[in-house]
Amino acid sequence: MSGGTDTAQFSAVVVVGLLVLFYGGTFLISTRIGKREENADGYMTAGNNVGFGISAASMTATWIWASSMYASATSGYTYGISGPIHYGLWGALMILFIYPFGKRIRKVAPKAHTLAEVMYARHGRSSQLMLAGSNVVGSLISLMSNFIAGGVLISLLSPFNFIQGVVCVAAGVLLYTLWSGFRASVMTDFVQVVAMLGAVAVIVPFIFFAAGFPAAFETGADNLTPQQGNFFSSEAFMGQGAPYIAAVLAYAIGNQTIAQRLFAVKESLIKPTFITATIGYGAMVIGIGMLGVLALYLGFEPSGGDLNNLIPEMAAEYLPPALLALFFIMIVGALSSTADADLAALSSITMADVYGQGVGKEKADPKTMLLVGRITMVVATALGVTFASLQLSILDLLVFVGALWGALVFPVLASFYWEKVTNKAFTTSVLVALAVFLPVRFGWIPVDGAFGIVVDVLAVLGIGVVLGLMVFGFLGARAAKTVGVLAVLVSAPFAIGSLHEYATLCGSLVAYSVSTVICWAMSVRQEEGFDFSVIAERTGNFDDGGAAAATADGQGEAPPVPGRAQRPGGAPDAGDLEPAAHTK
Amino acid sequence: MTVALSVYVLMWPVAVAVILFVISRGFFREWLEARRNGQDMI
Repeated sequence: MSGGTDTAQFSAVVVVGLLVLFYGGTFLISTRIGKREENADGYMTAGNNVGFGISAASMTATWIWASSMYASATSGYTYGISGPIHYGLWGALMILFIYPFGKRIRKVAPKAHTLAEVMYARHGRSSQLMLAGSNVVGSLISLMSNFIAGGVLISLLSPFNFIQGVVCVAAGVLLYTLWSGFRASVMTDFVQVVAMLGAVAVIVPFIFFAAGFPAAFETGADNLTPQQGNFFSSEAFMGQGAPYIAAVLAYAIGNQTIAQRLFAVKESLIKPTFITATIGYGAMVIGIGMLGVLALYLGFEPSGGDLNNLIPEMAAEYLPPALLALFFIMIVGALSSTADADLAALSSITMADVYGQGVGKEKADPKTMLLVGRITMVVATALGVTFASLQLSILDLLVFVGALWGALVFPVLASFYWEKVTNKAFTTSVLVALAVFLPVRFGWIPVDGAFGIVVDVLAVLGIGVVLGLMVFGFLGARAAKTVGVLAVLVSAPFAIGSLHEYATLCGSLVAYSVSTVICWAMSVRQEEGFDFSVIAERTGNFDDGGAAAATADGQGEAPPVPGRAQRPGGAPDAGDLEPAAHTK
Repeated sequence: MTVALSVYVLMWPVAVAVILFVISRGFFREWLEARRNGQDMI
C-alpha cells in the first residue's frame, strides 16, 4: 500500500477558509485581551500570575510542535510498537524533570523574564550571552522548522505551493502575536490545545477502525521485524530512547519558551501545571506516534519514501473530508502554538537581555522595550521565512545547539543552588565541554584507540551526571550523588570499550561530564559565596520603574563576580572582567 | 495479543481526552472567577 496524495485534497477556497477560520479566530482572541498601552512585563511574562488552565494548556501546546508529531510517527514506523514511547515519553519527561528546578528558579528570581537575565544577575555578561545566544539560535531553528512544516502541509493538501504555505503560516502567527506578545501567545494556546487534543482523541480511534484494526494486527504481523514487534526492543532504546534521555534536561534548560512559562505561572501552580503538561504532551505525541505503528502493520509506504509524508498521507487515506479538515487544523495549531512561543521568547530575550540589561535596568524605558520586542518579532518572522524558503539543512546546527545546551545544564543548575560557582567557572566549563564535544560528535579524531577509551570514560561520567541531576531535582544532593555513583559503577563495565560507537549519545554525555567536572573543580575551592537574594533585586519588573538599585555604583552595569572584591588585597585577578559586590 | 495491542493503541486518545477535560475545567473555572471579580483573566 502506498500513500495516495498525488493530487490536492482540498480546494484553494477550502484551505483559505480553514486558515482564515484558524488565524482569524486566534487574532480575534488576541484583540479581546489586547490593551492600547501594553505593559513591557506583561508582554514578556503576563505579570507572573497566570492561572492553571492557561498555563497547563500553554505549556502543552508550546512543547508540541509539528515535528514532534511527525517524528513520533516516524519512530513508530521505524522501531515498531515501542517507537512512540521512546520518542514521546522522554520528550514529556523533559517537562517533568525541569519542574523541581523551576520551583527553585522562581524562588530566587520571582520576577525574572528569561533564564539568561538571571544568569546575568548571578554571574555576568559572558554567562548571559552563552545562554541567550543558545536560546536565540534554538528559537530561530524552531521557528523555521514550524514554518517549513506549515509549507509542506499546505503544499501537500492544497493547490498552493510550499513558499505560499510558509508565508501564510508566518503571516498568520505574526498577526495575532505582534501586539500583545506573550499574553496573546498563552491565551491562544488554550484554543489551540483544545483543537489539538480534541483532534487526537477523535482521529486516532477513527483511523484505527477505518484501517481495519484490530484484525490488521493479525494480518499485518509479518510486516514487522522481531525487533519492531518487541516492546523491549534494544534497537529502539539505543537508536531513539537513550539519546533522548541524555537530552531531557538539556532541551528544557536551553529552551526559553519553557523558562518563560515558568516565570509566568503563579508560583503555587508550578507543580500541577508541569505535571499536567507532562501527561498531556506524552499522551498526545505517543498517540499520534501510534499512527506510525498502524502504518507499519498495514505495510503503508509514504510517497517518495519520505517519512514526513506518513501522517498527512495516512490522514488523507482514511479520514473523511470533515475529519481531514480537523487534522489540518491540528497540525496548523501545533506549529502555530510553538511558533508564537518562539516569537515571544525571542522578543523577551532582546527586550530583557539585550535592551533591558544593556542600558541598565533602572534606565530602561518600557515603551522602547515594547518597540524592541515588536521589531524583534517582525525581524524573526522574516528570518524564519527566509531560512524556511531556502530549505537549509539544520541538522548540524541543531546538533551543535543541543551540545551547547548539554554543556550548559550543570553550570546553569549549579548556579541556582551552589553559591561557589563563578562566572569564570561557568564560562570555561561550557567552552571546554564544547571543544571536547565537537571531535567526539563529528569523528574528527579516531575513537578506536586510546582516545576512544577516554571518550567512553567521560561518557560514563556523563551518565552519572545526567541521572544524578534528575534525582537531585526531586530528592536532593545525597540521593543524587548515590544514584550518580551507582550509575557510573553499573554502566562502566558495559560501556567502556563500546559506547564511543554511538557518536550522538556519546557526544551529549561528554558535554555533560566535561562541563560538570571543570565547573566543579574551578568552584569547589572558592572561599566566598554568592548571596542569592541579590538575584531577586536585579531581575524585578521593568514597568515598576526598576527594582532596587541594580548595582553598587548605580549605573546598571554588569553584576559582580562573586567573591572577587572581598579577597584580601581587594584586587581582582587577571581573569576578572566585571566589578565585584554583594558577596556574603 | 490483538486485544492488548488494541488497548495499547487506544489508551492514548483516552488519556488525551482526560487531560483535555482537566485543562478545560481549569480554564473555565478561572474564567468564571475572573468575571466574578471583574478582572482580566491574563
